[in-house]
Amino acid sequence: MARKDFEMVNRCRRLPVCLEIFLDELRQKFYLVREDVDSFLAQYEVCSKSSVRYFTNVIVFQQSEDPTHISKLIFRLKEWYDAWLPSEELGATIRNAFILSFQTQLYSTLGPAFVKGFKDLIASTLPSSDPEAPEKPPDTAMWVIFETLGFLDRYESIIASAGYEHIEAYVLENCAGQWAEPMMENLRTWMSEKIVPWMLLMYGREATTTDDARVMLANVGSRFDFHMAKTLCDLRTREIFDIIVDYPDSNGALQDLKECLQRVDQRGALVKSLRKANRKRLLHPGADTRLILSQYVSTIKCLRIVDPPGVLLFKVADPIRRYLRERPDTIRCIVSNLVGDEDSGDSLVDESEPIVPLQQPDTEDYTDSNWEPEPIDAGPDFRTNKPSDVISTLVSIYDSKDLFVKELQVLLAQRLLAITDDNEVKVEKERRNIEILKIRFGEAALQVCEVMLKDMTDSKRIDGHVQSQKASIVHPTIISRQFWPMLESSEIVMPGQFQVLQEQYAKEFSTFKPDKRLRWLPHLGTVHLELQLEDRTVKADVPPLEAAFIELFSEKNIWSMDELIAAVGSVDRSAALKALLTWVHKGILREDEQGTFRLLEIAEEASPTREQPRLASTQQEIAPVTSLQQQQAEQMKVYWKFIEGMLTNLGQLPLDRIQTMLKFAPGYDQTIEQLAGFMEAARREGLVTVKDGIWKLTPK
Amino acid sequence: MEQLTSSLTPRTPSKSPVAGSSQQSSGSVAKRLGNELMTLMMSASPGISAFPKNDGNLFEWVGTIEGAPGTVYAGLTFRISISFPPNYPYVAPAIKFDTPCFHPNVDINSGGICLDILQDKWSAVYSVQTILLSLQSLLGEPNNASPLNTDAAAIWNNQEAFKTQLMRHYRPL
Repeated sequence: MARKDFEMVNRCRRLPVCLEIFLDELRQKFYLVREDVDSFLAQYEVCSKSSVRYFTNVIVFQQSEDPTHISKLIFRLKEWYDAWLPSEELGATIRNAFILSFQTQLYSTLGPAFVKGFKDLIASTLPSSDPEAPEKPPDTAMWVIFETLGFLDRYESIIASAGYEHIEAYVLENCAGQWAEPMMENLRTWMSEKIVPWMLLMYGREATTTDDARVMLANVGSRFDFHMAKTLCDLRTREIFDIIVDYPDSNGALQDLKECLQRVDQRGALVKSLRKANRKRLLHPGADTRLILSQYVSTIKCLRIVDPPGVLLFKVADPIRRYLRERPDTIRCIVSNLVGDEDSGDSLVDESEPIVPLQQPDTEDYTDSNWEPEPIDAGPDFRTNKPSDVISTLVSIYDSKDLFVKELQVLLAQRLLAITDDNEVKVEKERRNIEILKIRFGEAALQVCEVMLKDMTDSKRIDGHVQSQKASIVHPTIISRQFWPMLESSEIVMPGQFQVLQEQYAKEFSTFKPDKRLRWLPHLGTVHLELQLEDRTVKADVPPLEAAFIELFSEKNIWSMDELIAAVGSVDRSAALKALLTWVHKGILREDEQGTFRLLEIAEEASPTREQPRLASTQQEIAPVTSLQQQQAEQMKVYWKFIEGMLTNLGQLPLDRIQTMLKFAPGYDQTIEQLAGFMEAARREGLVTVKDGIWKLTPK
Repeated sequence: MEQLTSSLTPRTPSKSPVAGSSQQSSGSVAKRLGNELMTLMMSASPGISAFPKNDGNLFEWVGTIEGAPGTVYAGLTFRISISFPPNYPYVAPAIKFDTPCFHPNVDINSGGICLDILQDKWSAVYSVQTILLSLQSLLGEPNNASPLNTDAAAIWNNQEAFKTQLMRHYRPL
């Protein structure tokens, strides 16, 4: 019936006019739709505002706005659409004209408020991240309406961004701080279980078979997967410093990062982030050198997992290495770790790591059949970091291993001299250490250490012999001066019976070894004393200076500090006071007035000074061996004489000439940069002046 | 024989291969000079100093002598050049003043010095340091018996006139 009418109209060629009128009518009546839209949006906004007020203090990942009003609006729009839609019999042309016109009108009506609401609505259709929440059946009807109203095409980016945000929220909630297990697998499972069904509503709506759907989703799916990887990568990049701190408990996170970095190109960002974190949290004066070293070692291990070729490591390590080079105690730290100080906490070196010789940065091996070109983001000065052991890497912070060997000698000397009572076990332990280090540093480098160890055993043998000739209570450690690091010299002369004992021993020694002479280092060592006083006997193990003082008190009972110092040669006042206070604490001496000490032959009861002896006061706190740094300062003094000499005689010289002339100074090994620093220091002290790079002495 | 070897040996310890014995000897000379330099640098005698002219050549030195206080030379500084022979220390080094020095025993033009220990009284136990010290004391106590500069010897007793002549020739460094 209607069709007949329609054909009649068409035949009269009145159809275009009718269509025109119809569309016009639609435009004029559209205010009805607009009113509805406005009223729903108003309700939505009121609702969302109140809810915002409610939730300000509560952090919820789910949207706080209630999108039900938007949902109602959508259904209402669909009602309008259906009501006005021309019947199918009128043909596609007319329907399309209507759809176009309706959508145009609709879109011009829907403002930014709707976009926001629409996004909330979409977000509410996503699977809840709370696993407890009941699974909502997908609201297929609504998606059909979206399709009918053309929202899916028009608002695709909004739908996608709702999806992205959902993924981001999920990743952040589930992965932040969770480093033990790799998360990537779980996330992918979650994606395919929860997100893919949702995506099907949107992107797979025309699919009839699963294969169809798969093809349709392939493209957009990889976009979502990329976004997930990127979110995880960003998260791990932010967390990288703490991940390294937690290593090896954070292995999972590192696996994730490795996988993500292959998917997402964030290597630059990772390097930047880690360098920034290092600068802020690690490379500052507040951080202990040990800490920096152990974090560096962890960084090496972690970044090797993430990026086996080592480009990332190279970029990150550079500032750390430069910083460590400037720290004065870096070598000491590394070396004490090498010899396994018991008191230095956990070792940098993995016990299980095989002991291998130090690796030199070797030149390219052209016969390597597994050769690969350098990674694309490697810098020009990138050196292929063959997976070498940690110690080699640490030692390579410095240009030469000589510094380590020297420090090693100093450390060994300290440890050997600290051994008392012929503790053979400890000497053996040092020997074992040295043997291990020989493998690393090579036999030749450790020859001096070998001599030092030999001195220890030889001393014991010589002592045995001397004792057999004439028993003595002195048991010296006889060391070869040439091979030991500089020992702090001392002017102490042991008084009284000590001197007698020393002389007797020296006499026996020279009959045993006529070509050698003993030079006593009386300030090193320990003395076992038994003091017999009127009412008591006191046993004590004390350093020699303490023993010397108390020996003097056997001559007379009251000494002033100056007298005491004069009697033992020359000692530091503070050292003398410390030694005297040891006896005061033991209740043997008493300070009567400032600087005068009296021997307490009879113990004073309830004397306030009779405290428990402080442990620290009986031990020598100052290291007997001058540290490498002091030795260097000593060396620089020698070099200064040479610089002074050449400038006196040759007038003025540029820095590079000074550097070459300094090779007349024996053992000169400073770089020109070090020399420049030294000259600068001399200039600040007013010793030299510089003009146009030419140095000369300040005229007297 | 000693003379012959020495004339064949290059004056500087060159890197070119030379006969075994002379190379060894020049090596040991360089070693001795190195030691002397070290001693000289480390023992601070006031007013005397010396240093090799160039790196790589230990046989040519420049020295500086300050006049001892209390003498007419007080406050003046003289530069000298020291040239060690390859068979040092068996032969004395050649020394001359670079700064013009008005002195009875110093040639004012050539800078040549008349000092017994630099000629016939030379002994291998002397060193740069002893030479420099001798020169420093020679300034204050000239040997007027065998003058090189007769004018200077003639007016030595008139210290004021001597000082005037001295300052006329003296060039500060």
